[in-house]
Amino acid sequence: MAEAFAVDVDGVQKKFGALRALDGVTLRVRTGEIYGILGPNGAGKTTLIRSLVGLVAPDAGTITVLGRRMPDVDNLRNVGYMTQAAALYPGLSVEENVKFFAAVYGVDSGVDDALKLVELYDRRGSVVATLSGGMRQRCSLVCALVHKPKLLLLDEPTVGVDPQLRVQFWEEFRKMAAGGTTIIVSSHVMDEAERCQRLGLIQYGKLLAEGTPNEVRARAGTNNLEEAFLRLAGTGVPS
Amino acid sequence: MSGHRVAAITRRLLQQFRRDRRTLALLFVAPIVILGLLGYLIRGSSSAPAVGIANEDQGPLGAMFASALQQSSLISASVIQASDGDAKLKDGSLVAYIVFPADFSSRAQAGTIAPDVHLEGSQPGTSGPVLQALQQALSSVAASGPGAGLHFAPQIHYLYGGQGFDTLDYFGAAFIGLVVFFLVFVITIVAFLNERSQGTLERLMATPLRRGEIVLGYMLGFTVLALVQAAEVLVFSLAVLKVHNQGSVALIFGLEALMALSAVNLGIFLSMFARTEFQAVQFIPLVIVPQVLLSGILFPVSTEPKPLQAISNVLPLTYAVNGLRDVMVKGADLTWASLQLDVGVVAGFCALVIIAGVLTLRRRIA
Repeated sequence: MAEAFAVDVDGVQKKFGALRALDGVTLRVRTGEIYGILGPNGAGKTTLIRSLVGLVAPDAGTITVLGRRMPDVDNLRNVGYMTQAAALYPGLSVEENVKFFAAVYGVDSGVDDALKLVELYDRRGSVVATLSGGMRQRCSLVCALVHKPKLLLLDEPTVGVDPQLRVQFWEEFRKMAAGGTTIIVSSHVMDEAERCQRLGLIQYGKLLAEGTPNEVRARAGTNNLEEAFLRLAGTGVPS
Repeated sequence: MSGHRVAAITRRLLQQFRRDRRTLALLFVAPIVILGLLGYLIRGSSSAPAVGIANEDQGPLGAMFASALQQSSLISASVIQASDGDAKLKDGSLVAYIVFPADFSSRAQAGTIAPDVHLEGSQPGTSGPVLQALQQALSSVAASGPGAGLHFAPQIHYLYGGQGFDTLDYFGAAFIGLVVFFLVFVITIVAFLNERSQGTLERLMATPLRRGEIVLGYMLGFTVLALVQAAEVLVFSLAVLKVHNQGSVALIFGLEALMALSAVNLGIFLSMFARTEFQAVQFIPLVIVPQVLLSGILFPVSTEPKPLQAISNVLPLTYAVNGLRDVMVKGADLTWASLQLDVGVVAGFCALVIIAGVLTLRRRIA
């Protein structure tokens, strides 16, 4: 049974001072699914993703990733995590960055393939500090998936990425999901939400609604996902 | 030139500082602390060096000199046996001792005042007060007795160093260690903070890396750099500056390496308490300056006011400085109990900061 869900978040609460960053979140992500976490800035998306890799210790509730209770440092070798800002070593080349993360995850092959995947192979010798924002974002993505993780966590992966490349990113995500990789993407871009198999809407640290994009739209009684989101989030749109 | 635009910059700058309490504290508290410490160190020090006096004179003159010296305010004189003198110089309880030899009075009658002056010799500037006190004693004795026309010819012996021994020889030994300690500390703390501020530490924490692995990896990387630097500093000091060295070069390098290791781990540890590189740089006046003042580099610990001596005696840098001086100035080796203590304390401190670094590196950076 445990295998059916790649991620099982059960009643997780986390407070930072008076702020309830996560207020009893329960959600399950199936293996091989692309699951979108949607919500406005400050809703708790990043906190939720960070709690999945053990960077945030829940005050209450349990988190199970790939069948193992978190935090579990060894389990992290099966997880890839792309942080919101492209966290890279600016003084190293693209290839040096990727090789470093590959080594940290304990793999020594696949660097070239991963670089070709995001079309950075020709720029592999470039020092990261000299790259454009979009290229850094690509490099950051490679660092998160070079070890072929079973679970890929992407915190707003396409910020600063041009529409053309965004389409490529998503094609790649779909291919990986088809190959059995579970992907959790946080975003506040509705066009990306449309591409997810299922969505979880978060606001004020609570999961407001969950379902396929169609289900979410139906539930809100609108054809537009953005409108659905605003309605469900309770801020409403002027009628 | 627009006054408004200039004022905007000035105002923004002051606004930033208003929120940065730590910088404000540093700006206004640190100078008071540092100057106060310096003042207390210099004014509060027992400035009169401890000098032993051994009178072996068979005539009356030696005793007259001895009592004149004991009244001198320039030195703090005590009576000792001449045979104990070197031991007391070695353990640091005396900086000099004066022996009036058996033929002191008879030579004085021949017109030569020739006491034996034994100087510890490793600290520059200590021979001055001793010779001055002797001169004073001579004039007071001369006024009450034999009269003028005497030739003052003290026989000066050095336990360490010698006449060619200068200030650089004394400070060089300490600075070889200090330079390495200081630079390695600054580079590590800034590099580790970079890791935090650019977000890569967060990323590393989401990988199977253990905290100990991160600290150890950092330590090895910086140690490679630090050892190359230590070797460079040592070669430059010995070959180019020709700093006096009596001891084993390998031992000096070993001590330097221990200091470098401590500095790396102190940097990692303290980086936990700073959020920006700017704040990290603030640790320099707080961590480094008091240590430099109190570690005996500039002022011998034995002449510090008692409360400050207590602080000096728990600072690891004190032992490192003392160890380096013992090796370079006195030719100490590992059979010396004092050097064993110095090396032990520095190694212990090193182990302590490694553990502290590992323990404070939290996986959860809330």
